[in-house]
Amino acid sequence: MKKTKWSLLLVLGLVLSLFLAACSGGDDDAQEEPADNGDSTETPAETPEESDEPKVLNILDSSEIPTMDPAQAEDSVSIQYQDTVYEGLYRLGPGGEELVSGIAVKEDTEVSEDGLTWTFHLREDAKWSNGDPVTAHDFVYSWQRAIDPETASFYAPYLMNGVIKNAEEVNAGDLAVEELGVTAEDDYTLVVELAKATPYFESFAAFPTFYPLNQEFVEAQGENFALEVENLLFNGPFVMTEWAHEEKFVFEKNEQYWDAASVNLSGINVQVVKDTATAVGLYETGQIDRVGLSGDFIDKYQTSSEFISMPETVVFWLKFNQDSVTKGEYMQNENFRRAIAQAFDKQAFIDVVYGNSSVPADYFVPSGFVTHPETGEDFRAKYGDILTYDVDAAKEAWAAAKEELGFEEVEISFISGDSDIGTLITEFFKNELEKNLDGLTLTLKNLPFQERLEVTKAGEYELVFSGWGPDYMDAISFVDLWVTDGPNNEMGYGNAEYDKLVKSVKGELAMKPVERFEAMQEAEKIALDEVAIAPVFQRERALLSKPYVKGMEVLNPYGADYSYKYVDIQK
Amino acid sequence: MARYILQRLVYMFITLFIIATATFFLMKLLPGTPFTDVATKATPAQLEILKDRYGLNDPVPVQYIKYIAGLFQGDLGVSFQFDNRNVTDLIMDRIGPSAHLGFQAMVVGTILGIILGMVAAIRHNSWVDYVAGFVAIIGISIPSFVFAGLLQYYLAVRWQILPVSFWEGFEYTILPTIALAIFPMAICARFMRTEMLEVLGSDYIELARAKGLGKSKIMFGHAMRNALIPVITVIGPMTVSLMTGTLVIEQIFAIPGLGEQFVRSINTNDYPMIMGTTMFFSILFVAVILVVDLLYGVIDPRIRVGGKD
Repeated sequence: MKKTKWSLLLVLGLVLSLFLAACSGGDDDAQEEPADNGDSTETPAETPEESDEPKVLNILDSSEIPTMDPAQAEDSVSIQYQDTVYEGLYRLGPGGEELVSGIAVKEDTEVSEDGLTWTFHLREDAKWSNGDPVTAHDFVYSWQRAIDPETASFYAPYLMNGVIKNAEEVNAGDLAVEELGVTAEDDYTLVVELAKATPYFESFAAFPTFYPLNQEFVEAQGENFALEVENLLFNGPFVMTEWAHEEKFVFEKNEQYWDAASVNLSGINVQVVKDTATAVGLYETGQIDRVGLSGDFIDKYQTSSEFISMPETVVFWLKFNQDSVTKGEYMQNENFRRAIAQAFDKQAFIDVVYGNSSVPADYFVPSGFVTHPETGEDFRAKYGDILTYDVDAAKEAWAAAKEELGFEEVEISFISGDSDIGTLITEFFKNELEKNLDGLTLTLKNLPFQERLEVTKAGEYELVFSGWGPDYMDAISFVDLWVTDGPNNEMGYGNAEYDKLVKSVKGELAMKPVERFEAMQEAEKIALDEVAIAPVFQRERALLSKPYVKGMEVLNPYGADYSYKYVDIQK
Repeated sequence: MARYILQRLVYMFITLFIIATATFFLMKLLPGTPFTDVATKATPAQLEILKDRYGLNDPVPVQYIKYIAGLFQGDLGVSFQFDNRNVTDLIMDRIGPSAHLGFQAMVVGTILGIILGMVAAIRHNSWVDYVAGFVAIIGISIPSFVFAGLLQYYLAVRWQILPVSFWEGFEYTILPTIALAIFPMAICARFMRTEMLEVLGSDYIELARAKGLGKSKIMFGHAMRNALIPVITVIGPMTVSLMTGTLVIEQIFAIPGLGEQFVRSINTNDYPMIMGTTMFFSILFVAVILVVDLLYGVIDPRIRVGGKD
């Protein structure tokens, strides 16, 4: 009996001393921590300058890479890292302004006169990381695999259907995959037959869905393909050497890459951090080279010399549901829509909700995205700001709407996200619109993302906050949104003239770039003159970047955010 | 004793079965499908293919039976959000850091809490007692992520004594451990103090004193042992919730733990992952409750169960 009493005490005492010892030991270790790190391969900012020192970029990401299988890539994170380790026919050049040669030599590409047949000539020195050459057969296999209904790729049919010959039929299971309009004439000649002339087809050539895959390797991996580092084969500027899921991704320069001489970085370390304060702490202590900012941190660092803000090609707007069972009649009235679209202060919205340097948008095709094929002017140069914030005009339209519809008071439901930001958004619009439009009441619904998508898809909404980012470098990615009964219209808008313009853009104007470009400008004007939607803002991304990081000053307009191939560290 | 444990194991099994069933049907009530985040760009035909592949087009009872059958074979299925990775592997990959941290925080918190509570009780109504009470109230009322943020900002960013985040060695565990340990410490301190006061006023302590036993012997041998019972009761479940990961702390210190995984699996309707983590938590939970019940007997032989017959 006596023994047990003491043993209990002994155990407690032991555990306690263990903890105390461990704690003090840890403190000592930690004192050395920064210096320790400096000697390791992590290469933080403090390491002394040395010319032959490995150039390692240390950055963070906020989420796991959802997939490294090109056929399954559909989110920005997957696209970013796939662009880093794979290469398609082309890739985005420095600054993302134009497409440059990838596995195919761009200057040698032949397009038939009707624009239906594209012949790509591949370089013969491109290799997979196991030493195999990259051939035209790898593209054929990969594209067939992507469109195969069994693969269940989202992007393959989205991008290929109606563009590549037989894609739709193959995806529906009506034709064998071999019937897809892509063939290898020989090992280094790839011939693509299109269903219709598509000028932006070449920007697909840089998109993950169209990367090549080594058939023998993929089939040997079976179900495990692309799940871990050892189930991957690379042909891009970097190879992935470690993939600790949701924790850390490590990339090293691919010495076998055909253009390895142009790759400056020796490696990239990416660690996963979701908390902004933590990320900023890591930046402040010199462990990472770049950090994204949000909310209060933007205010705090706005005057820092390391602060940068980069425009994105993402635009947000309010959608009016003209098909709404409850308020469709109101939403179909142009004055009603105009009143709402012009009654809120877009700059105030940005300040209140995001507090960053995003810009008010009076348009839906973003600025800094595409340029006129002849003059090189931005898409926005012609019509600029179409639907501006103008309280007087809004009030006038509101009075007219009241008269036309014969109402004094109206209640409209408004949907946005259920995050903190989502709540700020709905509250802002409630204040601003109710203040400026007499008799209007907004009832707010903050729904989780998934539910919001479902509700919007089902058309069970009145007013919703939503946005769009492009998938390829062509204004049609935006202009196509509002065609009557289009898959992304989801608001019952329709205009015959608009539809006609979009149809000609996708059809007979395909080979006339100038007319085609101008037709899209006209289409945008038509939709906005009718207030199809109420544009709100074009997003900018704020971050801190160490001055020695070069080649990450702008975001690519589509596809991967950055091309690490061109990034450099110049200390 | 053996019979008692066997009986408890059977109950545990039934409990788990009920939890599995309830979770399964509740989960089916979640709005959306696992594929909604990509649904804007997918064709309806593709969604059908995906649903077929994951067996989501089967009637719910069939899905249920398949799931339970898999469960019996230890197969939790594959995750939707992570490109077909095995749920068991995903959980096993991430339980390490969570369990390590939770255990460390629990040990530190419990020991400090017990000491704090005892000191407060012994020096009842003195400044020591008030300070201990104040610390306990702070610990209970201020959430751990506030401590985490403060610790991180001062100790890691400003003074750079400890690493800011990540999971690469013992020094990386210190800040999260402290942040996590404060709550169990406060709880233990309060229980311990109340219980000690009660015990110290009881007849057998008077007797011990009258017998002329030394002060430390009375405190540790008699008083503490009896006062520990309620503390043991609360620390069992608390250990489970700490060891299975805490979302906010894991995010702040960028720890690859299980807490975040669980929350996200719900947000993305990753059915197998929801089921997997819930079942995992439940198993741990009922197991710990059993251990706690057995511990009672060790600490206080009067509550020893099933041994008499």
